[in-house]
Amino acid sequence: MRHPNPEDRSRRGFVGSCLGGSLLASGLASELLAATDRDGLSPRSSRFPAKAKKVIFVFFSGGVSHVDAFDPKPALSRDHGKQVTLDHPETRGRGGYEKLFLKRPGWEFKPRGRSGIEISDMFPHIASQIDQCALIRSMHTSHSNHFNATLGMHTGSFAFSRPSIGSWVSFALGTNNSDLPSFLVLAPNMPYAGTQVWASDFLPGAHQGTRVVGGADSVANLKARLPIEQQRKELEALAAINSIHGSTRPDASFLDARSRSFRTAFGMESAMPEAMNLATETEETKSLYGINRPECRTFGELCLTARRMVERGVRFVELIHTGSSGNWDSHGNMADHTRLAAQSDQPVGGLIADLARRGLLDETLVVWTTEFGRTPFNNRADNPGREHHNWAFSSFLAGAGVKPGIVHGATDEHGIRAVEKAVHVHDFHATILHLMGLDHEKLTYRHAGRDYRLTDVHGTVAREVLA
Amino acid sequence: MNSAWLLITTLAIAVTRLPADDRESRFESTIRPLLAKHCIGCHGPDKQKVGLRLDDKAGWAKGGDSGPAILPGKPAESLLVKAVRREASVSAMPPNRSLSPAEVRDLEAWVAAGAFDPREGSERLGGMSLGEAKSWWAFQPLAKSSPPGPGHPIDAFLQTRLAKAGMAYQKPAAKQDILRRLSYDLTGLPPTPPEMDSFLSDDSPQGYEKVVDRLLSTPAYGERWGRHWLDLARYADTAGENSDFPISNAWRYRNWVIDAFNRDMPYDKFIRAQIAGDLLAPNAADIERDGLVVATGFLAVARRFGHNIASDMHLTREDVIDTVGRTFLGLSLGCARCHDHKYDPITTRDYYALYGIFESTRFPFPGCEANRQPRDMVPLPGDPARVAETLKADARIAAIESEKAKIQAGLPRLDFSGARPVASGSIKDGGSARLDVPSPVRMVKGDMLLLAISPLANQGADFTRVELKLSDSAHASKAWDLRTEAIDSLAKGNPVASSHGGAWHFLDLQKQPRLLNSRTDGAYGNENLMAWRSEGETPAAMVNTSPDPVQVFAKLPGRSFFAHPGASWPVGIGFLCPADGNFTIDGSLVDAHPGGPDGVGFNLSVVPAGFSAALARHVEAASTLSKLESEKSGLLSRKRPSEFAYAVAELKPVDAAVQVRGEPEKKGPIVPRGMPALLGGTTVSATNASGRLELANWLASASNPLAARVIANRIWLHHFGSGIVATPSDFGSRGLKPTHPELLDWLARDFVENGCKIKRLHKLIVTSKAYRQSAGPPDDRDPDNQLVSRFARRRLSAEEIRDSLLVAAGKLDSDPGASHPFPPEDSWRFTQHNPFAAEYDTNKRAIYQMTTRNRRHPFFALFDGADPNATTPVRQATTVPTQALYFMNDPLVHDAAMALASRVEAEPTTGAQLSLLFRIALQRPPTDPELAAIRLLVPSASARLDTRSLASAARVVLSGNSFLTVD
Repeated sequence: MRHPNPEDRSRRGFVGSCLGGSLLASGLASELLAATDRDGLSPRSSRFPAKAKKVIFVFFSGGVSHVDAFDPKPALSRDHGKQVTLDHPETRGRGGYEKLFLKRPGWEFKPRGRSGIEISDMFPHIASQIDQCALIRSMHTSHSNHFNATLGMHTGSFAFSRPSIGSWVSFALGTNNSDLPSFLVLAPNMPYAGTQVWASDFLPGAHQGTRVVGGADSVANLKARLPIEQQRKELEALAAINSIHGSTRPDASFLDARSRSFRTAFGMESAMPEAMNLATETEETKSLYGINRPECRTFGELCLTARRMVERGVRFVELIHTGSSGNWDSHGNMADHTRLAAQSDQPVGGLIADLARRGLLDETLVVWTTEFGRTPFNNRADNPGREHHNWAFSSFLAGAGVKPGIVHGATDEHGIRAVEKAVHVHDFHATILHLMGLDHEKLTYRHAGRDYRLTDVHGTVAREVLA
Repeated sequence: MNSAWLLITTLAIAVTRLPADDRESRFESTIRPLLAKHCIGCHGPDKQKVGLRLDDKAGWAKGGDSGPAILPGKPAESLLVKAVRREASVSAMPPNRSLSPAEVRDLEAWVAAGAFDPREGSERLGGMSLGEAKSWWAFQPLAKSSPPGPGHPIDAFLQTRLAKAGMAYQKPAAKQDILRRLSYDLTGLPPTPPEMDSFLSDDSPQGYEKVVDRLLSTPAYGERWGRHWLDLARYADTAGENSDFPISNAWRYRNWVIDAFNRDMPYDKFIRAQIAGDLLAPNAADIERDGLVVATGFLAVARRFGHNIASDMHLTREDVIDTVGRTFLGLSLGCARCHDHKYDPITTRDYYALYGIFESTRFPFPGCEANRQPRDMVPLPGDPARVAETLKADARIAAIESEKAKIQAGLPRLDFSGARPVASGSIKDGGSARLDVPSPVRMVKGDMLLLAISPLANQGADFTRVELKLSDSAHASKAWDLRTEAIDSLAKGNPVASSHGGAWHFLDLQKQPRLLNSRTDGAYGNENLMAWRSEGETPAAMVNTSPDPVQVFAKLPGRSFFAHPGASWPVGIGFLCPADGNFTIDGSLVDAHPGGPDGVGFNLSVVPAGFSAALARHVEAASTLSKLESEKSGLLSRKRPSEFAYAVAELKPVDAAVQVRGEPEKKGPIVPRGMPALLGGTTVSATNASGRLELANWLASASNPLAARVIANRIWLHHFGSGIVATPSDFGSRGLKPTHPELLDWLARDFVENGCKIKRLHKLIVTSKAYRQSAGPPDDRDPDNQLVSRFARRRLSAEEIRDSLLVAAGKLDSDPGASHPFPPEDSWRFTQHNPFAAEYDTNKRAIYQMTTRNRRHPFFALFDGADPNATTPVRQATTVPTQALYFMNDPLVHDAAMALASRVEAEPTTGAQLSLLFRIALQRPPTDPELAAIRLLVPSASARLDTRSLASAARVVLSGNSFLTVD
């Protein structure tokens, strides 16, 4: 999908105008303008037909409490204050945590939508879209530390750096818009594990996530340091001297690719700000995302930007709320979830609603997750916070290829363990890839003598969430 | 047993009597297809779920994690049979569908009859049969080949092969191309215009060789080739654990590598130094000792993992084993951590034999969120007095630790259970709270009023200013004030004797509560702060004795008392009640360090007497413990400036137990320390040493054919763009075989026979015609240039791009770099929430830039720099639009263009200006079409160009493909 923009003509025209000059032998013209892709980003079809062509991956950092948000546990309220004996990674050997007591949810749950799925008042806007979603209440992961669990949720590896899921999808499917990166990460703050979260690692560098911090300098070096006309002239001269250089080296595809990359970059200089520019959106749309409310303005703008990016053909967009600090890690007081939900609930709910009404949800997969849940217990029942909990948490999928309005899997009566149809992070990844038309066991990359996969040697597709 | 069982038994007896041929044909017709259809997919060559293989007899006999899968003759006890019968005691197999009843019967009958299996006789070593392993090309001794013709030996090998394909080399490269190529290859820098002029004007036959010798002797050579080595060594200046702690002394290893290349250290010596330099140092010449210790930085810079790196050291050891294997042997030894190698002859036993060596090796501790104090750095041995002092101190610290442990183990448990709650609450960041105790609290003599302050988050907490006052309701004169009494007497000891027979106790409320026993005068570098601490920095009780506020991490009010909880447990302030009574209690808590992310919780309670006897024992031991502790912290806090190396040392040797499926808590059999079985597999003989020295000698020995082949191939690779073996760190069965095996062996043998001198190998390679041919057009008969039918044009590396921009600007600072300006060690508070992150850009060569692991430097990430988390044998060369954006808009490029413009502005004419500009940037004058292209960009009328126009021209030239590629 292309969007006209005022600068497009002059930008697109620069190579052509240069070719019009007498500098170039006619044979080189087609070489220079050749659209053949040699940098690994041309669009490719999936392994098997799939509805989902793009992904918006929403990541809430710090550990969102499942029992307060998505996983209603009446028994937890009933048994509030009862002691439980558990060998839990976060409390084992920790002074003051010799005894553990169940702690009741702090939010009220209600049935929502036609499906009647119960969601708490923490996320009313997301709850209003639950009929579009497959809610997975039986997620679990391998590590109870932020860094490792965040790395695991993004790369399938809990210790070593490996390619990000966005890089894998970009590697498998390429992109439809060469003016924009195939894998964009909208993250004003650095997450746990830093840039490893979106690194392509051993996959070709074209597939690494491009981090957008928002604001004027949203991508490094995106802003032209010269007046646009001056830059256009210099790029014409560059195209000319590169084609002179290439005229005696017709073999080197890398040289063409590099010449073309300047054209793409010039396109990006305008395409990125254009995609980031929300001025053309109606007030109604903006308010759908809560942009008119100060508390959700930042994340609302990012969510709206994500929609604009998938509209423009970006393959994989990740949204991170918030970063490695000031996040959902509410050890101190669960009430902090209220503040964070106020920033993020309406933007995410609005995003799903907006994608749906524009028909974009038919080809876009929305993933919402966090790195782990929070303990349904604590060292005192009146401890206002909850600790890290990797045995169970909730995530949801929405959109293309997803069975809408269902709940998949369940935790035990207190939300402590995923007991029914447990979905490990590897299974989650396998399912996401499947929805993109990719077989997680066949999407491999040979590196250092071994075929690597996103799911390592694990992963089972949760078929019941497929439409 | 039911009747079906009888039937099977009867059948089994019948089957047993069948002659061998029949058994074989039955196996082939029923069992082999059955296993292939249902089992081998997950338990065969491709996957070995639960460690089990069913594709040969040895596989099921050895079995998986639960032991042998089949007990011949005993179907009812055989796990395989139980699994297909889907018995409750085992996992049902196959997992998703049952075998047909007939298939189950066939299997039962086969097992009952003795499980005849003809698939035997191939003894395996990891992923290969013994036969395959013995004949694998890379494990063979270096062949004694001789060049198949006269002339340069390399050309003799290559041209013979090319001739067979009906091909020949390209014509020799132009002189200006060859000097540019040679300069970049050997030094990573372009030639200067005078160097180019001098080379072009030297027509003597020795002209080329002279240039080669000159380039090999410049310090820039080591900076170029040292970088190739640092790629393999996954070098970085941070540890890579969750908070990415800086490593102050890693740079010494970096500089040692550069220096080793410049000095042309023989490669065998280079290997030994990096594996066991510390063990070689005592017998080395004085001048070499420091370097030998520093060299083990190769091992020491291994990545650290997790929140508390001590608990993930098995992953760090894996990183070491994998890096050693890939770098020196071209073998992926790390693959054998969880299971025998799938493809190569490496077993889990081999892995844990090496693991024991590294478990017997002390790795330096860079610090981490859970324990911020770096330790176990190795003193440089250049100063024997300092070394002796450090060793003495280390020994004393160890003795103190064991003495303390002994005392503490002998202390009775302080039982604070049964406490009656009085008040509780929490304060947020920057907050405060009053202790709300409305009515007097009844206490009897020997009770303790205990105020416990805990972190609310698990990422630590801040100092809290505490006030706590008691008074006896019946005797208003009997009053106690924590603040004033602590300020006056905290320096005297813990507990602080109080008025009227009371006493204040400052407690570390871990699972086993104890008194804070580490006294710190002048905490945080301020003489007015006096603290009692536990093992580390926290928990702590601290006073500011000055009447004035002091500024340390925050502004601390004068004459105040502060408490700080442990990382995840409370600190306690306990008032021991001297007499029965009703006590009025008042107090408050104020966050003393606003701005941190966390608050604290507090809990005031009365602990009934009953712990008194135990407490008395603790108090009795306190002074001894505190003396020991202050002696220890004195030893530890001696300033540790730059004369330490980030290097390894010996530990008490231990043999490691196999970790079943790579999980450290699942211990398997103990494996003696030793070398992998495939190349002899000697066991470490020394009982008092880790075995690193033996490993070093084994790796570097002339009889190890892998080391020489691997390094010869790497040197070749960095001259020709790809190796004779195209997978330079994988000489195993998943790697590619050599395109010219005789040449590789000849090079490796020549290298070893001539003293393992790398500079000699460079000279041999770059003086060949193969290296000096032109880049030339591709040829369909050799599309991937495997026959070396042309020179492989290449993109500049990240370092070369940056250094060349600085050269063009005339700004490159060619002095070597040293340490980085990290913040002082005692200010490190990095967490996974706020990890260390910095860029210290300078104008020194790129190899001297500080390298972080968790947040990569954006420039090196953009231009395919080495992965600082894993050994990198070959860089990628990607082309992405964000690289173009860099050239279009980055300040470094714009600054370089502006500086280049000023360098050429003084030339008399536009032609001369542009000519010099091209000669500096591209080491050649512009061609006419290039000049024409540039002239379209700049005003045509003027005789000379101004800086602005020249900068514009410079940006175009520096962004061009001529600049970025080497022909």
